[in-house]
Amino acid sequence: MKSLTLNQLSKTYFDPYKGTQVTALEDVTLSIAPGEFVSVVGPSGCGKTTLLNVIAGFLPESGGSVRVDRRPISGPGPDRGVVFQSFALFPWKTVLDNVGFGPKMRGVGREARDAIAMEYLQLAGLAHAADRYPAELSGGMQQRVGVVRALANEPDVLLMDEPFASVDAQTRLTLQEELIRIWLDRQTTVLFITHDVPEAVFLANRVVVLSKGRVMDEIAVDLQHPRKWDDLIENDSFKSLSARVLQRVRAA
Amino acid sequence: MIVKRANPQPGLWNKLQMAWVRLHQRWPNLAASLPFVPLVFSWWLTAWLEVFPRAFFPGPGDVVLSMISLIYKGILPEYLLDSVTRLIVGASTGVAIAIPLGVLIGMSRRANTVLWPPLLFFQAVGDIAWLPILLIWFGFGLTTMTFVIVYTVLFPVVLNTVLGIRSINPDLLRAARSLGASQARMIWEVVLPGALPNIMTGLRNGLGYGWRALIAAEIIVGTSGIGFLMFDARRAGSVVEIMLGMIVLGLLWYVVDAWILAPIERATGERWGMVTR
Repeated sequence: MKSLTLNQLSKTYFDPYKGTQVTALEDVTLSIAPGEFVSVVGPSGCGKTTLLNVIAGFLPESGGSVRVDRRPISGPGPDRGVVFQSFALFPWKTVLDNVGFGPKMRGVGREARDAIAMEYLQLAGLAHAADRYPAELSGGMQQRVGVVRALANEPDVLLMDEPFASVDAQTRLTLQEELIRIWLDRQTTVLFITHDVPEAVFLANRVVVLSKGRVMDEIAVDLQHPRKWDDLIENDSFKSLSARVLQRVRAA
Repeated sequence: MIVKRANPQPGLWNKLQMAWVRLHQRWPNLAASLPFVPLVFSWWLTAWLEVFPRAFFPGPGDVVLSMISLIYKGILPEYLLDSVTRLIVGASTGVAIAIPLGVLIGMSRRANTVLWPPLLFFQAVGDIAWLPILLIWFGFGLTTMTFVIVYTVLFPVVLNTVLGIRSINPDLLRAARSLGASQARMIWEVVLPGALPNIMTGLRNGLGYGWRALIAAEIIVGTSGIGFLMFDARRAGSVVEIMLGMIVLGLLWYVVDAWILAPIERATGERWGMVTR
Protein backbone atom coordinates (compact mmCIF):
# COMPACT_ATOMS: atom_id res chain seq x y z
CA MET A 1 0.00 0.00 0.00
CA LYS A 2 1.82 3.04 -1.32
CA SER A 3 1.06 6.50 -2.65
CA LEU A 4 0.95 7.49 -6.31
CA THR A 5 2.10 10.99 -7.26
CA LEU A 6 1.79 12.62 -10.68
CA ASN A 7 3.69 15.87 -11.04
CA GLN A 8 3.00 18.10 -14.07
CA LEU A 9 2.67 15.00 -16.20
CA SER A 10 2.40 15.65 -19.95
CA LYS A 11 2.24 13.50 -23.04
CA THR A 12 2.46 14.58 -26.65
CA TYR A 13 2.82 12.28 -29.60
CA PHE A 14 3.29 12.63 -33.33
CA ASP A 15 0.25 11.88 -35.46
CA PRO A 16 1.62 10.45 -38.73
CA TYR A 17 -1.69 10.99 -40.55
CA LYS A 18 -2.08 14.65 -39.64
CA GLY A 19 1.67 15.28 -39.55
CA THR A 20 1.35 17.27 -36.34
CA GLN A 21 2.08 16.91 -32.64
CA VAL A 22 -0.99 15.99 -30.61
CA THR A 23 -1.25 16.80 -26.92
CA ALA A 24 -2.97 14.01 -24.99
CA LEU A 25 -1.95 15.13 -21.50
CA GLU A 26 -1.25 18.81 -20.94
CA ASP A 27 -0.40 19.06 -17.26
CA VAL A 28 -1.70 16.49 -14.79
CA THR A 29 -0.80 16.92 -11.15
CA LEU A 30 -2.47 14.47 -8.82
CA SER A 31 -1.58 12.76 -5.63
CA ILE A 32 -3.24 9.57 -4.41
CA ALA A 33 -2.79 8.59 -0.77
CA PRO A 34 -1.85 5.03 0.26
CA GLY A 35 -5.00 2.88 0.22
CA GLU A 36 -7.09 5.53 -1.49
CA PHE A 37 -9.50 4.68 -4.31
CA VAL A 38 -9.55 7.40 -6.99
CA SER A 39 -11.79 7.34 -10.06
CA VAL A 40 -10.89 9.34 -13.15
CA VAL A 41 -13.79 10.35 -15.40
CA GLY A 42 -14.02 12.59 -18.42
CA PRO A 43 -15.46 12.81 -21.91
CA SER A 44 -13.94 10.55 -24.54
CA GLY A 45 -10.68 11.96 -25.89
CA CYS A 46 -9.87 13.70 -22.61
CA GLY A 47 -6.74 11.58 -22.16
CA LYS A 48 -7.98 9.07 -19.54
CA THR A 49 -6.53 5.99 -21.22
CA THR A 50 -3.30 7.79 -22.16
CA LEU A 51 -2.97 8.77 -18.51
CA LEU A 52 -3.26 5.15 -17.41
CA ASN A 53 -0.85 3.95 -20.11
CA VAL A 54 1.77 6.50 -19.01
CA ILE A 55 1.37 5.60 -15.32
CA ALA A 56 1.57 1.88 -16.18
CA GLY A 57 4.77 2.59 -18.10
CA PHE A 58 3.38 1.39 -21.44
CA LEU A 59 3.97 4.86 -22.95
CA PRO A 60 6.89 7.13 -22.04
CA GLU A 61 5.91 10.48 -20.52
CA SER A 62 6.85 13.65 -22.43
CA GLY A 63 7.32 15.75 -19.31
CA GLY A 64 6.79 15.67 -15.56
CA SER A 65 7.00 12.57 -13.42
CA VAL A 66 5.14 9.56 -12.04
CA ARG A 67 6.22 8.35 -8.61
CA VAL A 68 5.19 5.34 -6.58
CA ASP A 69 5.96 6.51 -3.02
CA ARG A 70 9.13 8.53 -3.73
CA ARG A 71 10.46 6.35 -6.53
CA PRO A 72 10.05 7.53 -10.16
CA ILE A 73 8.85 4.80 -12.51
CA SER A 74 10.73 3.53 -15.54
CA GLY A 75 8.69 1.33 -17.87
CA PRO A 76 6.09 -1.22 -16.78
CA GLY A 77 6.71 -3.02 -13.53
CA PRO A 78 5.11 -5.33 -10.97
CA ASP A 79 4.70 -2.41 -8.53
CA ARG A 80 1.79 -1.24 -10.71
CA GLY A 81 -0.79 -3.95 -11.43
CA VAL A 82 -3.02 -3.35 -14.45
CA VAL A 83 -6.57 -4.54 -15.15
CA PHE A 84 -7.48 -4.19 -18.83
CA GLN A 85 -10.80 -3.49 -20.52
CA SER A 86 -10.01 -6.42 -22.86
CA PHE A 87 -9.31 -8.65 -19.78
CA ALA A 88 -5.97 -9.66 -21.43
CA LEU A 89 -5.97 -13.15 -19.89
CA PHE A 90 -3.50 -15.60 -21.43
CA PRO A 91 -5.74 -17.98 -23.44
CA TRP A 92 -3.19 -20.83 -23.22
CA LYS A 93 -3.02 -20.76 -19.43
CA THR A 94 -5.63 -22.09 -17.05
CA VAL A 95 -7.30 -19.66 -14.65
CA LEU A 96 -4.96 -20.89 -11.89
CA ASP A 97 -1.86 -20.31 -14.05
CA ASN A 98 -3.11 -16.90 -15.14
CA VAL A 99 -3.46 -15.79 -11.53
CA GLY A 100 -0.13 -17.41 -10.62
CA PHE A 101 1.69 -15.66 -13.49
CA GLY A 102 3.02 -12.73 -11.45
CA PRO A 103 4.38 -14.94 -8.63
CA LYS A 104 5.90 -17.25 -11.29
CA MET A 105 7.79 -14.29 -12.78
CA ARG A 106 9.08 -13.50 -9.28
CA GLY A 107 10.49 -17.01 -9.10
CA VAL A 108 7.91 -18.47 -6.71
CA GLY A 109 7.81 -22.29 -7.04
CA ARG A 110 4.86 -24.27 -8.39
CA GLU A 111 3.27 -25.26 -5.09
CA ALA A 112 3.62 -21.89 -3.41
CA ARG A 113 2.25 -19.96 -6.36
CA ASP A 114 -0.67 -22.36 -6.76
CA ALA A 115 -1.49 -21.70 -3.11
CA ILE A 116 -1.30 -17.92 -3.65
CA ALA A 117 -3.45 -18.14 -6.80
CA MET A 118 -6.00 -20.33 -5.02
CA GLU A 119 -6.26 -17.87 -2.13
CA TYR A 120 -7.04 -15.02 -4.53
CA LEU A 121 -9.44 -17.13 -6.58
CA GLN A 122 -11.33 -17.88 -3.37
CA LEU A 123 -11.43 -14.15 -2.65
CA ALA A 124 -13.24 -13.70 -5.98
CA GLY A 125 -15.39 -16.82 -5.54
CA LEU A 126 -13.70 -18.53 -8.48
CA ALA A 127 -12.00 -21.51 -6.85
CA HIS A 128 -14.22 -23.90 -8.82
CA ALA A 129 -12.95 -22.49 -12.14
CA ALA A 130 -9.23 -22.90 -11.38
CA ASP A 131 -8.63 -25.57 -14.02
CA ARG A 132 -10.68 -23.98 -16.78
CA TYR A 133 -9.29 -22.00 -19.70
CA PRO A 134 -10.34 -18.33 -20.02
CA ALA A 135 -12.32 -18.98 -23.22
CA GLU A 136 -14.59 -21.30 -21.22
CA LEU A 137 -15.63 -18.50 -18.83
CA SER A 138 -18.22 -15.72 -19.16
CA GLY A 139 -17.02 -12.13 -19.55
CA GLY A 140 -17.81 -11.31 -15.92
CA MET A 141 -15.84 -14.33 -14.68
CA GLN A 142 -12.95 -13.49 -16.99
CA GLN A 143 -12.68 -10.00 -15.54
CA ARG A 144 -12.83 -11.34 -11.96
CA VAL A 145 -9.78 -13.39 -12.96
CA GLY A 146 -8.22 -10.25 -14.47
CA VAL A 147 -8.66 -8.37 -11.17
CA VAL A 148 -7.27 -11.11 -8.93
CA ARG A 149 -4.41 -11.83 -11.34
CA ALA A 150 -3.27 -8.23 -10.86
CA LEU A 151 -3.82 -8.43 -7.07
CA ALA A 152 -2.05 -11.79 -6.62
CA ASN A 153 1.18 -10.06 -7.63
CA GLU A 154 0.70 -7.74 -4.64
CA PRO A 155 1.18 -4.46 -6.50
CA ASP A 156 1.67 -1.16 -4.66
CA VAL A 157 -0.90 0.46 -6.92
CA LEU A 158 -3.74 -1.08 -8.92
CA LEU A 159 -4.49 0.59 -12.27
CA MET A 160 -7.85 -0.22 -13.83
CA ASP A 161 -8.71 0.85 -17.39
CA GLU A 162 -12.51 0.80 -17.85
CA PRO A 163 -12.43 -2.79 -16.59
CA PHE A 164 -16.19 -3.34 -16.53
CA ALA A 165 -17.06 -1.51 -19.78
CA SER A 166 -17.40 -4.70 -21.82
CA VAL A 167 -19.43 -6.63 -19.24
CA ASP A 168 -23.24 -6.71 -19.27
CA ALA A 169 -25.07 -4.20 -17.08
CA GLN A 170 -26.27 -6.62 -14.35
CA THR A 171 -22.88 -8.29 -13.99
CA ARG A 172 -21.24 -4.86 -13.88
CA LEU A 173 -23.14 -3.92 -10.70
CA THR A 174 -22.10 -7.18 -9.05
CA LEU A 175 -18.48 -6.71 -10.07
CA GLN A 176 -18.47 -3.18 -8.66
CA GLU A 177 -19.73 -4.43 -5.29
CA GLU A 178 -17.17 -7.23 -5.34
CA LEU A 179 -14.39 -4.79 -6.17
CA ILE A 180 -15.37 -2.68 -3.12
CA ARG A 181 -15.32 -5.81 -0.95
CA ILE A 182 -11.89 -6.89 -2.26
CA TRP A 183 -10.50 -3.38 -1.96
CA LEU A 184 -11.66 -3.16 1.68
CA ASP A 185 -10.08 -6.55 2.30
CA ARG A 186 -6.73 -5.77 0.62
CA GLN A 187 -6.50 -1.98 1.20
CA THR A 188 -4.74 -1.38 -2.13
CA THR A 189 -4.21 2.04 -3.71
CA VAL A 190 -6.47 2.13 -6.79
CA LEU A 191 -6.64 4.39 -9.85
CA PHE A 192 -9.83 3.56 -11.73
CA ILE A 193 -10.47 4.95 -15.22
CA THR A 194 -14.09 5.02 -16.38
CA HIS A 195 -16.58 7.03 -18.42
CA ASP A 196 -19.46 5.81 -16.25
CA VAL A 197 -20.23 8.54 -13.69
CA PRO A 198 -22.35 6.49 -11.22
CA GLU A 199 -19.67 3.79 -11.30
CA ALA A 200 -16.94 6.36 -10.54
CA VAL A 201 -18.90 7.76 -7.59
CA PHE A 202 -19.99 4.36 -6.27
CA LEU A 203 -16.43 3.03 -6.08
CA ALA A 204 -14.21 5.94 -5.16
CA ASN A 205 -13.07 8.03 -2.22
CA ARG A 206 -12.46 10.81 -4.72
CA VAL A 207 -13.52 11.45 -8.31
CA VAL A 208 -11.14 13.33 -10.62
CA VAL A 209 -12.64 14.98 -13.69
CA LEU A 210 -10.19 15.10 -16.57
CA SER A 211 -10.66 17.55 -19.43
CA LYS A 212 -8.39 18.22 -22.40
CA GLY A 213 -5.42 16.64 -20.66
CA ARG A 214 -5.82 18.56 -17.39
CA VAL A 215 -7.43 17.89 -14.02
CA MET A 216 -10.56 20.03 -14.17
CA ASP A 217 -12.04 19.17 -10.79
CA GLU A 218 -11.75 16.81 -7.84
CA ILE A 219 -14.82 15.77 -5.88
CA ALA A 220 -14.55 13.92 -2.58
CA VAL A 221 -17.02 11.06 -2.03
CA ASP A 222 -17.73 10.59 1.67
CA LEU A 223 -20.23 7.73 1.44
CA GLN A 224 -20.21 4.98 4.07
CA HIS A 225 -18.58 1.60 3.40
CA PRO A 226 -19.40 -1.14 2.56
CA ARG A 227 -21.39 0.31 -0.32
CA LYS A 228 -24.25 -1.65 -1.90
CA TRP A 229 -26.27 -0.63 -4.93
CA ASP A 230 -29.52 -1.57 -3.17
CA ASP A 231 -28.80 1.09 -0.51
CA LEU A 232 -27.23 3.75 -2.69
CA ILE A 233 -29.58 3.76 -5.66
CA GLU A 234 -32.12 5.79 -3.64
CA ASN A 235 -29.55 7.58 -1.47
CA ASP A 236 -29.79 11.38 -1.72
CA SER A 237 -26.11 12.20 -1.20
CA PHE A 238 -25.15 9.56 -3.80
CA LYS A 239 -27.62 11.05 -6.24
CA SER A 240 -26.49 14.62 -5.71
CA LEU A 241 -22.80 13.63 -5.93
CA SER A 242 -23.44 11.78 -9.18
CA ALA A 243 -25.35 14.75 -10.55
CA ARG A 244 -22.51 17.09 -9.63
CA VAL A 245 -19.88 14.92 -11.28
CA LEU A 246 -22.05 14.48 -14.36
CA GLN A 247 -22.45 18.25 -14.70
CA ARG A 248 -18.69 18.72 -14.49
CA VAL A 249 -18.08 16.02 -17.10
CA ARG A 250 -20.68 17.56 -19.43
CA ALA A 251 -19.05 20.96 -19.00
CA ALA A 252 -15.60 19.50 -19.66
CA MET B 1 -58.92 -42.91 -25.07
CA ILE B 2 -56.39 -43.89 -27.67
CA VAL B 3 -53.26 -41.84 -28.05
CA LYS B 4 -51.42 -42.21 -31.30
CA ARG B 5 -47.68 -42.35 -31.06
CA ALA B 6 -44.78 -42.57 -33.43
CA ASN B 7 -43.70 -46.16 -33.89
CA PRO B 8 -41.03 -46.85 -31.24
CA GLN B 9 -39.66 -49.77 -33.26
CA PRO B 10 -36.45 -48.68 -35.03
CA GLY B 11 -36.66 -48.98 -38.79
CA LEU B 12 -34.01 -50.39 -41.06
CA TRP B 13 -32.60 -46.94 -41.75
CA ASN B 14 -32.17 -46.22 -38.02
CA LYS B 15 -30.51 -49.58 -37.50
CA LEU B 16 -28.06 -48.82 -40.29
CA GLN B 17 -27.35 -45.42 -38.81
CA MET B 18 -26.73 -46.91 -35.37
CA ALA B 19 -24.44 -49.58 -36.84
CA TRP B 20 -22.52 -46.84 -38.66
CA VAL B 21 -22.11 -44.81 -35.46
CA ARG B 22 -20.78 -47.89 -33.60
CA LEU B 23 -18.41 -48.68 -36.46
CA HIS B 24 -17.20 -45.11 -36.60
CA GLN B 25 -16.51 -45.06 -32.87
CA ARG B 26 -14.46 -48.21 -33.07
CA TRP B 27 -12.45 -47.20 -36.17
CA PRO B 28 -12.47 -43.41 -36.52
CA ASN B 29 -10.28 -43.51 -39.64
CA LEU B 30 -12.92 -45.51 -41.47
CA ALA B 31 -14.95 -42.37 -42.16
CA ALA B 32 -11.93 -40.80 -43.81
CA SER B 33 -11.52 -43.70 -46.20
CA LEU B 34 -15.19 -43.79 -47.21
CA PRO B 35 -14.95 -41.01 -49.86
CA PHE B 36 -12.30 -43.10 -51.64
CA VAL B 37 -14.69 -46.02 -52.21
CA PRO B 38 -16.38 -44.57 -55.34
CA LEU B 39 -13.00 -43.27 -56.55
CA VAL B 40 -11.32 -46.67 -56.32
CA PHE B 41 -14.41 -48.33 -57.77
CA SER B 42 -14.41 -46.15 -60.91
CA TRP B 43 -10.65 -46.66 -61.23
CA TRP B 44 -11.18 -50.42 -61.05
CA LEU B 45 -14.10 -50.25 -63.51
CA THR B 46 -12.11 -48.19 -66.05
CA ALA B 47 -9.21 -50.62 -65.86
CA TRP B 48 -11.48 -53.68 -65.98
CA LEU B 49 -13.33 -52.42 -69.07
CA GLU B 50 -9.89 -51.80 -70.63
CA VAL B 51 -10.81 -48.32 -71.80
CA PHE B 52 -7.06 -47.75 -72.01
CA PRO B 53 -4.44 -50.43 -72.68
CA ARG B 54 -3.66 -52.37 -69.51
CA ALA B 55 0.04 -51.44 -69.57
CA PHE B 56 -0.81 -47.72 -69.53
CA PHE B 57 -3.67 -47.94 -67.07
CA PRO B 58 -3.38 -50.79 -64.58
CA GLY B 59 -6.15 -51.43 -62.03
CA PRO B 60 -6.07 -51.29 -58.21
CA GLY B 61 -5.35 -55.00 -58.02
CA ASP B 62 -2.18 -54.66 -60.09
CA VAL B 63 -0.97 -51.83 -57.87
CA VAL B 64 -1.65 -53.82 -54.69
CA LEU B 65 0.25 -56.82 -56.15
CA SER B 66 3.14 -54.55 -57.07
CA MET B 67 3.10 -53.10 -53.55
CA ILE B 68 3.22 -56.55 -51.98
CA SER B 69 6.07 -57.55 -54.24
CA LEU B 70 8.04 -54.38 -53.51
CA ILE B 71 7.48 -54.72 -49.77
CA TYR B 72 8.57 -58.35 -49.97
CA LYS B 73 11.75 -57.36 -51.77
CA GLY B 74 12.35 -54.72 -49.13
CA ILE B 75 12.58 -51.91 -51.70
CA LEU B 76 9.42 -50.01 -50.72
CA PRO B 77 10.12 -49.94 -46.95
CA GLU B 78 13.71 -48.87 -47.58
CA TYR B 79 12.79 -46.10 -50.02
CA LEU B 80 9.95 -44.92 -47.81
CA LEU B 81 12.28 -44.76 -44.82
CA ASP B 82 14.82 -42.80 -46.88
CA SER B 83 12.24 -40.24 -47.98
CA VAL B 84 10.71 -39.84 -44.52
CA THR B 85 14.14 -39.52 -42.89
CA ARG B 86 15.11 -36.81 -45.36
CA LEU B 87 11.86 -35.00 -44.70
CA ILE B 88 12.25 -35.21 -40.91
CA VAL B 89 15.90 -34.09 -40.96
CA GLY B 90 15.20 -31.27 -43.41
CA ALA B 91 11.96 -30.13 -41.79
CA SER B 92 13.29 -30.11 -38.22
CA THR B 93 16.39 -28.19 -39.32
CA GLY B 94 14.13 -25.78 -41.19
CA VAL B 95 11.82 -25.26 -38.22
CA ALA B 96 14.77 -24.90 -35.83
CA ILE B 97 16.05 -22.01 -37.96
CA ALA B 98 12.66 -20.57 -38.92
CA ILE B 99 11.02 -20.08 -35.51
CA PRO B 100 13.91 -18.13 -33.87
CA LEU B 101 14.26 -16.10 -37.08
CA GLY B 102 10.53 -15.38 -37.10
CA VAL B 103 10.60 -14.36 -33.42
CA LEU B 104 13.55 -12.05 -34.10
CA ILE B 105 11.84 -10.38 -37.06
CA GLY B 106 8.50 -10.22 -35.29
CA MET B 107 9.90 -8.69 -32.10
CA SER B 108 12.60 -6.33 -33.37
CA ARG B 109 11.94 -3.47 -35.75
CA ARG B 110 15.62 -3.35 -36.64
CA ALA B 111 15.82 -7.05 -37.47
CA ASN B 112 12.69 -6.60 -39.55
CA THR B 113 14.26 -3.75 -41.55
CA VAL B 114 17.43 -5.74 -42.21
CA LEU B 115 16.01 -9.22 -42.78
CA TRP B 116 12.63 -8.72 -44.42
CA PRO B 117 13.76 -7.61 -47.94
CA PRO B 118 16.29 -10.46 -48.41
CA LEU B 119 13.70 -12.88 -47.04
CA LEU B 120 11.22 -11.87 -49.74
CA PHE B 121 13.95 -12.01 -52.37
CA PHE B 122 15.01 -15.55 -51.51
CA GLN B 123 11.43 -16.69 -51.11
CA ALA B 124 10.88 -15.74 -54.75
CA VAL B 125 13.87 -17.87 -55.83
CA GLY B 126 11.98 -21.12 -55.50
CA ASP B 127 13.45 -24.26 -53.96
CA ILE B 128 13.77 -26.19 -57.21
CA ALA B 129 15.51 -23.22 -58.83
CA TRP B 130 18.40 -23.85 -56.44
CA LEU B 131 18.94 -27.40 -57.68
CA PRO B 132 21.29 -26.64 -60.61
CA ILE B 133 23.73 -24.70 -58.47
CA LEU B 134 23.37 -27.10 -55.50
CA LEU B 135 24.23 -30.04 -57.76
CA ILE B 136 27.45 -28.28 -58.77
CA TRP B 137 28.29 -27.34 -55.18
CA PHE B 138 27.27 -30.45 -53.25
CA GLY B 139 26.75 -33.11 -55.89
CA PHE B 140 24.04 -35.79 -55.90
CA GLY B 141 23.75 -36.38 -52.18
CA LEU B 142 21.92 -35.88 -48.93
CA THR B 143 23.28 -32.33 -48.49
CA THR B 144 21.57 -31.17 -51.66
CA MET B 145 18.25 -32.72 -50.73
CA THR B 146 18.38 -31.48 -47.13
CA PHE B 147 19.15 -27.98 -48.38
CA VAL B 148 16.11 -28.03 -50.65
CA ILE B 149 13.77 -29.16 -47.87
CA VAL B 150 15.18 -26.71 -45.31
CA TYR B 151 14.80 -23.97 -47.87
CA THR B 152 11.20 -24.92 -48.65
CA VAL B 153 10.11 -25.30 -45.03
CA LEU B 154 11.85 -22.11 -43.90
CA PHE B 155 9.78 -19.43 -45.61
CA PRO B 156 6.22 -20.41 -44.72
CA VAL B 157 7.24 -20.99 -41.09
CA VAL B 158 9.13 -17.67 -40.80
CA LEU B 159 6.38 -15.64 -42.48
CA ASN B 160 3.61 -17.23 -40.41
CA THR B 161 5.58 -16.88 -37.17
CA VAL B 162 6.01 -13.16 -37.86
CA LEU B 163 2.32 -12.86 -38.72
CA GLY B 164 1.39 -14.77 -35.56
CA ILE B 165 3.50 -12.52 -33.34
CA ARG B 166 2.10 -9.35 -34.93
CA SER B 167 -1.46 -10.55 -34.37
CA ILE B 168 -1.00 -11.12 -30.62
CA ASN B 169 -3.25 -8.73 -28.68
CA PRO B 170 -0.81 -6.01 -27.48
CA ASP B 171 -2.62 -5.99 -24.11
CA LEU B 172 -1.30 -9.53 -23.50
CA LEU B 173 2.28 -8.30 -23.88
CA ARG B 174 1.53 -5.31 -21.67
CA ALA B 175 -0.09 -7.54 -19.05
CA ALA B 176 2.97 -9.80 -18.99
CA ARG B 177 5.33 -6.83 -18.67
CA SER B 178 3.33 -5.29 -15.81
CA LEU B 179 3.26 -8.67 -14.06
CA GLY B 180 7.04 -8.59 -14.05
CA ALA B 181 7.99 -10.74 -17.06
CA SER B 182 11.46 -10.19 -18.53
CA GLN B 183 11.93 -10.09 -22.30
CA ALA B 184 13.16 -13.70 -22.36
CA ARG B 185 10.29 -14.99 -20.19
CA MET B 186 7.87 -13.06 -22.36
CA ILE B 187 9.00 -14.89 -25.51
CA TRP B 188 8.50 -18.26 -23.87
CA GLU B 189 5.31 -17.47 -21.92
CA VAL B 190 3.44 -15.14 -24.28
CA VAL B 191 4.98 -14.69 -27.73
CA LEU B 192 5.44 -18.34 -28.71
CA PRO B 193 2.10 -19.67 -27.42
CA GLY B 194 0.35 -16.60 -28.83
CA ALA B 195 1.85 -17.19 -32.25
CA LEU B 196 1.42 -20.98 -32.10
CA PRO B 197 -1.77 -21.26 -34.20
CA ASN B 198 -0.04 -19.34 -37.00
CA ILE B 199 3.19 -21.29 -36.54
CA MET B 200 1.15 -24.49 -37.01
CA THR B 201 -0.31 -23.09 -40.24
CA GLY B 202 3.21 -22.30 -41.40
CA LEU B 203 4.37 -25.78 -40.46
CA ARG B 204 1.47 -27.36 -42.32
CA ASN B 205 2.26 -25.36 -45.47
CA GLY B 206 6.01 -25.84 -45.05
CA LEU B 207 5.77 -29.61 -44.63
CA GLY B 208 3.40 -29.86 -47.58
CA TYR B 209 5.73 -27.85 -49.82
CA GLY B 210 8.76 -29.66 -48.39
CA TRP B 211 7.28 -33.05 -49.15
CA ARG B 212 6.65 -32.05 -52.76
CA ALA B 213 10.10 -30.49 -53.10
CA LEU B 214 11.65 -33.68 -51.75
CA ILE B 215 9.94 -35.81 -54.38
CA ALA B 216 11.09 -33.38 -57.08
CA ALA B 217 14.64 -33.44 -55.70
CA GLU B 218 14.63 -37.25 -55.55
CA ILE B 219 13.51 -37.41 -59.16
CA ILE B 220 16.40 -35.20 -60.23
CA VAL B 221 19.07 -36.09 -57.66
CA GLY B 222 17.77 -39.51 -56.76
CA THR B 223 19.61 -42.53 -55.65
CA SER B 224 16.73 -43.78 -53.47
CA GLY B 225 13.37 -42.64 -52.09
CA ILE B 226 9.79 -42.56 -53.33
CA GLY B 227 10.54 -39.90 -55.96
CA PHE B 228 13.39 -42.05 -57.26
CA LEU B 229 11.14 -45.13 -57.26
CA MET B 230 8.67 -43.32 -59.51
CA PHE B 231 11.28 -41.94 -61.86
CA ASP B 232 13.05 -45.28 -62.06
CA ALA B 233 9.75 -46.93 -62.86
CA ARG B 234 9.25 -44.46 -65.72
CA ARG B 235 12.57 -45.61 -67.18
CA ALA B 236 11.35 -49.20 -66.96
CA GLY B 237 7.95 -48.16 -68.30
CA SER B 238 6.18 -49.53 -65.22
CA VAL B 239 2.99 -47.49 -64.78
CA VAL B 240 2.04 -49.74 -61.88
CA GLU B 241 4.97 -48.58 -59.77
CA ILE B 242 4.43 -44.92 -60.71
CA MET B 243 0.83 -45.18 -59.50
CA LEU B 244 2.00 -46.93 -56.36
CA GLY B 245 4.41 -44.07 -55.69
CA MET B 246 1.63 -41.52 -56.12
CA ILE B 247 -0.66 -43.40 -53.74
CA VAL B 248 2.09 -43.70 -51.12
CA LEU B 249 2.68 -39.93 -51.32
CA GLY B 250 -0.99 -39.18 -50.67
CA LEU B 251 -1.31 -41.73 -47.87
CA LEU B 252 1.81 -40.55 -46.12
CA TRP B 253 0.61 -36.95 -46.10
CA TYR B 254 -2.71 -38.05 -44.66
CA VAL B 255 -0.88 -39.89 -41.88
CA VAL B 256 1.28 -36.84 -41.07
CA ASP B 257 -1.80 -34.65 -40.92
CA ALA B 258 -4.06 -37.01 -38.97
CA TRP B 259 -1.48 -38.36 -36.51
CA ILE B 260 0.81 -35.37 -35.95
CA LEU B 261 -0.52 -31.98 -37.06
CA ALA B 262 -4.22 -32.29 -36.24
CA PRO B 263 -3.66 -33.66 -32.68
CA ILE B 264 -1.24 -30.79 -31.92
CA GLU B 265 -3.80 -28.27 -33.15
CA ARG B 266 -6.56 -29.88 -31.11
CA ALA B 267 -4.42 -29.75 -27.97
CA THR B 268 -3.37 -26.10 -28.41
CA GLY B 269 -5.16 -23.38 -30.38
CA GLU B 270 -8.51 -25.16 -30.45
CA ARG B 271 -8.32 -26.11 -26.78
CA TRP B 272 -7.51 -22.52 -25.83
CA GLY B 273 -10.38 -21.10 -27.88
CA MET B 274 -7.97 -19.17 -30.13
CA VAL B 275 -9.04 -21.03 -33.27
CA THR B 276 -12.61 -21.96 -34.07
CA ARG B 277 -13.07 -25.50 -35.25
